[in-house]
Amino acid sequence: MAATAIEDRNRARAARRKGRRDTRMSYLLLLPYLLLLLMFGIFPVAYAFGLSFVDTIEMVFYGVSNYNFVLTDFRVPQAAINVIWFVGIWVAITMIGVAILSLMLDTVGRRTAATLRTIYFLPGAVTSSAIVVLWLFVLDPAVSPFQIAWHAFGWQNSADVITGIGLAGVFSIMAYFSGSGGWIVVFGGALSSLPTEVLEAARIDGANRFQLATRIKLPMIWRSLVLMGVLSFAGGLQLFVEPQLMGLAGPQFAQNDWSLNQMAFQYAFRMGDFGASAALSTLLVGSSIIIALVLVFATRFYKID
Amino acid sequence: MSTARTAPFRFRPSRFVVFATLAFAVCFYGIPLFWLFLSGTRSESSLFSDAPFTLGTWDAFVHTWTNLTTYNNFQILTWATNSLIYSVGGVLLALLTSIPAGYALAASDFPGRRLILVVTLIAMITPSTAVVLPIFLEMNLLGLNNTYAGLILASGFFPFGVYLTYVYFSTSLPKGVMDSARVDGANRFQLFSRIALPLARPIISLVAFFSFIGIWSNYFLAFVLLSDDRLYNLPVGLTALISSSGALSNLPSNDVPIRKPEVILAAILVILPVLLIFIIAQRFVRSGTLSGAEKG
Repeated sequence: MAATAIEDRNRARAARRKGRRDTRMSYLLLLPYLLLLLMFGIFPVAYAFGLSFVDTIEMVFYGVSNYNFVLTDFRVPQAAINVIWFVGIWVAITMIGVAILSLMLDTVGRRTAATLRTIYFLPGAVTSSAIVVLWLFVLDPAVSPFQIAWHAFGWQNSADVITGIGLAGVFSIMAYFSGSGGWIVVFGGALSSLPTEVLEAARIDGANRFQLATRIKLPMIWRSLVLMGVLSFAGGLQLFVEPQLMGLAGPQFAQNDWSLNQMAFQYAFRMGDFGASAALSTLLVGSSIIIALVLVFATRFYKID
Repeated sequence: MSTARTAPFRFRPSRFVVFATLAFAVCFYGIPLFWLFLSGTRSESSLFSDAPFTLGTWDAFVHTWTNLTTYNNFQILTWATNSLIYSVGGVLLALLTSIPAGYALAASDFPGRRLILVVTLIAMITPSTAVVLPIFLEMNLLGLNNTYAGLILASGFFPFGVYLTYVYFSTSLPKGVMDSARVDGANRFQLFSRIALPLARPIISLVAFFSFIGIWSNYFLAFVLLSDDRLYNLPVGLTALISSSGALSNLPSNDVPIRKPEVILAAILVILPVLLIFIIAQRFVRSGTLSGAEKG
């Protein structure tokens, strides 16, 4: 009796010791990542938050004056409206376009679908500045591959096309062009892994392809579509590159304070007012973090255990 | 709904709608890229006067290529080299940090594990563009603006890679093998290096794929952190090329040899590496993007 008790105690102690060693090794494996997380995740956000309460020109505590300054700058509400228009249009065409194309691809032959999916997916390689450069060509009726369409609308030059479509529309098209194909590939995978029994049962019950797509498949991928919409929304709020580079087409197209992130950039780089930049950045990061928290805790999209 | 019980061949109008929509999408996604690659071979005058889908000449291509590469003392080649340095450095750093971290989160339980996971997820969902200006403010404080190291360090932070690795190891580590290896006296590090790492090849390629694409095409962060044009990467260099030459503005031409064909070729240079990797590794996108997200 006593011997086994001691043995048990020893074993428990050894297990604890082993557990501590295991824990230490886990932290060691995590350490390099945690350093980067601290340096490029937590610290910058905390630093910007702190800086947003400082007058960075006089280096004194400034209360919420930076926030007051930013929110009363007439360009900021205008930029917010611009960004909301962009996000609204972009998220809508992404959700509708990706859903329709994915569901349609699921009804054609496997090989055709695979080829088409690849074509839709390749523009994803065109990102950041290249996407703006490419579309500045495409939007210019003088050289555009779509010049027939632009001429049909009576648009003779880039300015006609850009004002005709509207800036929010132009940026939405650029973002959709590059971003949607990857999602179509993802939904291609999701649709092909739907349980065949359900689809078969619906077919036997007399559902045609349209009913199959709208009543059976669409509800089954709906949650992922919403996830895509939310992620696009969060990304769209941070719009910077597209408006920032419009000036490449000529000074008359320059849009230096069109989006919120551009305003934050302007404060830091044109005005040297890091406090104001930090305040606006904090508001932008804050909105992203709130969205992320909702996705992590209020939905079960991500695996945390 | 009377069509519901009829045979497939009566659905022709609806099939027409499907194929017309898919064909329209082929034009929308395909034509701009096709045009871009075709136009890389055309001269400035051909761009304006010939039909949009004209193939240029070899001579025109060589002329454009020479103009582009020799401009400003082979500047574009410097930028291409920089892009390569940032990408290789960033991808290596992303792999070295995220693979062990993802493994540790999946294979063991320890105080703070859930917190690290949640913070990682938040960092992953928050668009990287949201943190660019805060990172700039921080780098300004640390004096790491305008250095290779600054951009490589910042782009090596890749929470998505950690999460992908975590999901991968939580579903694919063979418990039996791990347990028996531990009974045989393997310590934690040996479990990682001898058992987990050899299994990790698919996840290593997946993380490398996603991080490479992000880093190669990163414009905003590079634009904000780098002000010395010798340190630019290709996406920033592309725009510097255009704004210094005014090549896209349709204004009276100047004597800078960078005009529309050179810009097109430079854009192709930015796109081509990612495009090639996309063609080789399309399936990665499918297996990566929604992983861990519950089905349906």
